[in-house]
Amino acid sequence: QRIEIQKLRQGENLILGFSIGGGIDQDPGQNPFSEDKSDKGIYVTRITPGGPAEDADLRIGDKIMQVNGWDMTMVTHDQARKKLTKKNEDVVRLLITRKSLEEA
Amino acid sequence: MPAEVKQEQSPGNATSLAMMQEPQEPQEVVEETVTIEEDPGTPTSHVSVVTSDDGTTRRTETKVTKMVKTVTTRTVRQVPLGPDGLPLPEGSSPLSSYTDSIDRRYMKNGGERFITPQATSTLTRAYNNSYNDSYVETPESQYIRHYGLHDGYADLTDNYGSLSRGVNFRPPRYPYMPNSYRPENSYTLPIRKDDYGHVAQPQVPMGSSTVDLNRSQPERFQPEPYGLEDDRRSLGPEEEEPYELEPDYSTANRRILPGTNRGRTHREPLRDVHRVRGYPDDPIEAELIDERHPYIHGMYSAPLAQPERGSMASLDRMAGRRSPSIDSIRKDPRWRDPDLPEVIAMLGHPIDPVKSNAAAYLQHLCYENDKIKKDVRQLKGIPVLVSLLDHPKSEVHRKACGALRNISYGKDNENKVAIKNCDGIPALIRLLRKTNDMEVRELITGTLWNLSSYEPLKMVIINHGLQTMTNEVIIPHSGWEHEPNEDSKPRDAEWTTVFKNTSGCLRNVSSDGAEARRRLRECDGLVDALLHALQSAVGKKDMDNKSVENCVCIMRNLSYHVHKEVPGAERFQDPSALQAPGSAGPQRKKKDDAGCFGGKKAKEEWFNQGRKNGENDKNYDTLDLPKRTEPSKGFELLYQPEVVRLYLSLLTESQNYNTLEAAAGALQNLSAGQWTWSNYIRATVRKEKGLPILVELLRSDSDKVVRAVAIALRNLSIDRRNKDLIGSYAMRDLVSNLPSGQQRPAKNLEEDTVVAILNTIHEIVTDSSENARSLIQAQAIEKLVAINRTSQSARETKAASHVLQTVWSYKELRNALTKDGWNKSHFQPTVTATPKATKNGKPGYDDTTLPLMEKNQDGYSTIDQRDKDCKYKTDDGSADLTEREPLKNDTNRKHYIRSNRPAVSLVDACDVKPQPVDSWV
Repeated sequence: QRIEIQKLRQGENLILGFSIGGGIDQDPGQNPFSEDKSDKGIYVTRITPGGPAEDADLRIGDKIMQVNGWDMTMVTHDQARKKLTKKNEDVVRLLITRKSLEEA
Repeated sequence: MPAEVKQEQSPGNATSLAMMQEPQEPQEVVEETVTIEEDPGTPTSHVSVVTSDDGTTRRTETKVTKMVKTVTTRTVRQVPLGPDGLPLPEGSSPLSSYTDSIDRRYMKNGGERFITPQATSTLTRAYNNSYNDSYVETPESQYIRHYGLHDGYADLTDNYGSLSRGVNFRPPRYPYMPNSYRPENSYTLPIRKDDYGHVAQPQVPMGSSTVDLNRSQPERFQPEPYGLEDDRRSLGPEEEEPYELEPDYSTANRRILPGTNRGRTHREPLRDVHRVRGYPDDPIEAELIDERHPYIHGMYSAPLAQPERGSMASLDRMAGRRSPSIDSIRKDPRWRDPDLPEVIAMLGHPIDPVKSNAAAYLQHLCYENDKIKKDVRQLKGIPVLVSLLDHPKSEVHRKACGALRNISYGKDNENKVAIKNCDGIPALIRLLRKTNDMEVRELITGTLWNLSSYEPLKMVIINHGLQTMTNEVIIPHSGWEHEPNEDSKPRDAEWTTVFKNTSGCLRNVSSDGAEARRRLRECDGLVDALLHALQSAVGKKDMDNKSVENCVCIMRNLSYHVHKEVPGAERFQDPSALQAPGSAGPQRKKKDDAGCFGGKKAKEEWFNQGRKNGENDKNYDTLDLPKRTEPSKGFELLYQPEVVRLYLSLLTESQNYNTLEAAAGALQNLSAGQWTWSNYIRATVRKEKGLPILVELLRSDSDKVVRAVAIALRNLSIDRRNKDLIGSYAMRDLVSNLPSGQQRPAKNLEEDTVVAILNTIHEIVTDSSENARSLIQAQAIEKLVAINRTSQSARETKAASHVLQTVWSYKELRNALTKDGWNKSHFQPTVTATPKATKNGKPGYDDTTLPLMEKNQDGYSTIDQRDKDCKYKTDDGSADLTEREPLKNDTNRKHYIRSNRPAVSLVDACDVKPQPVDSWV
């Protein structure tokens, strides 16, 4: 599923209003959202109520597959964070997977 | 070999790092750090071999080269002898094939066998020597030479050589000595085939070590006809002789090599062969020993063979001619790595160099190899090694110690227990008392550090070694003197490896509960020396190293529960029992009212604050330290307000997160509790302008630093004045560490940290509507509500809801809150949330204390038990404990990781916890 999030400018920061967990440098066993505990992908862990991510219908537990075309399944946490927070981009396009979508 | 040792130690370091967080953590980790660099296991290992080995390795190499040279010279002499004209090419070719196979192996096996290169070299030497010697001289002479020639590293190499000698050498003698030797020969002979393989094997491992090996080999062999000859001989004889195996040689070697792993597999097959042939390892050895003895003794006194050689040379030739054709050839091929039982058996060899070589070889084998460690244990090698610790020869006990250190490293606690069970700990301590050799001391303390990572051994170490370690290492290296002379100016601490290892060990053992803490506190001179060392570190602005980290961690652990556990603490329990406020102590009392944050009117505030600290508060504005007629010493130093400045200096200057965390943790421990000293400490932190320093650290990137600081602030806010100051100046930083909300926190904090911050906020706003107001102004309500509503963590939810309830309870603030669009429902535990939270909360939580801000005097009751514990008085102890425990776990985790992976990344592993990271974007 593709989701486009318009970043919200807040002060100096552009924010998306969600947080991510995971990455190949993280302990995948502690990811509460992954089915496969060896999955080192990037997951959405929290969403700010009323934030851009919520408005864009991003959900907690979504796995981020791509950010603006960049693969997010084999990146470190910090790499993912940087891809999401580029200051020169006002829009982030995400490719995500969601359990409920897979099942449907 | 030395490299290995270090590596092993390094694991210890890693542990220490872990410990850093909490002194309790095992030290092994600490050593690991070092290892990382050195780890041969890494692909870089080849290079590393040389480089990695510190002084030792280098030495070895150099020695090796020397050895080689000597060999060559001999060979030259012999060359005339060698003229046999045996085709060098043959000899060389086999070698080359070996090397090839070696390399392959190498690739497969990875770095473990770095040492191998040395080994190879040694092997070759051994070859050369043995040949030369055997031919020219009696076998005895050989022994002498070997031993005499090689030192430290050489020993290692020698080890190989010696080992092989032990087994193999005898055979060569046969031809010469028809006597008793033959029996031996017979032994060796059967082995030969194996040996052949062995030869290849040693090379293999060595070859893996790489270039050096190869070089050395070619050099030796090529230049020296001898070596070549030997090879040939072996080949030739093999073929000729019953050894039908010979033809197999090449194949056999390959088989072995490619086959299972490393040397073990090879060895095992070999062993079998031996057995088949009826060689019981031990019996053989015993026989050998018996036979050798006479030689050895005689030989020992004998001068080096060189002078003799001249004469011998001719003999050699003679012998060489004969032997090459027959026995000698075969014998040569026999070189091989001894298998594990043989090595262990050699530990009991009557010849000291054999012992030390065997021990050094064991150390090498055990490096980064848990399986071998286990095998050594099961083969009862550990008691033998321990018994060697008492050996008078430094070479022997050093190597034994090195082997023990490697064996003691790792997550396999069985090895540690095995060392303890054969009284290894007292033996190590005895040796520590006895030796002046720095290297040995490093090995001992490294071993102890490794051992100290295993809980059940901590008390044993304390019982046997605490005072010795303190007297032999900590005090001398700290620069502290019991009775300082007037002339001698105070010395600075020396951050030696020995000190680092010892402090790491003490750091680990200091986490072993109240009794351990008591013992350490009461250990004569320990606290004094550690404080001196830390002060010296602050003075030199050298506070980022591991030793400082260890010291601070020890201090933190010893500060834990100090208000309950220190003898005579009861006297200070009742605040009203404060000693009469007398003249100001050494502290600058005069300035006291200049609060760090730019004081408000102190007195008024003090008096306003009522309840919680009611009784204490009276004392504060006039707070004075009790008079002391004599300087405090020993454990009293732990909680003297003077230490506050030390910790604050560390907090200001150190870049080491573990040190920062430990220093904050020490302040946290000291400021907990209700006894007089904690009151002083809390006030002193303020007067020393420590609050801004702590608040500054709330911005640290390190999760655990933030957590320790937050909890310290919570404890400090027991002091009413501190609470006001913290409320006005720290609120924004505290809030900015909270997740969620529109603001994106700069860092990802763990749940524990978030909870700690929330609890600190709760503490600050309790009984202070002023602080609650500044909380609102910091725009925290939005975050708190968000946490309360959406956090995945029950504990975070609960803690946030406590804060919200407290805030809502200030009726005077409700107006403002309503204006901002909040209503009561936001401040009530969401129906779903709270109950969930409690349910999800860790079992055993006492929920009764949960709701509402009762105005208990403590006010703490509203906090989660855990938090309560951490922060406060009665529960302080337990609280600290809880904190520590998680840390311990972390350390252990790290430790394991390290031990599993020699990779360089291990170093980082210390700091990088596996905790889930969460970034706001």
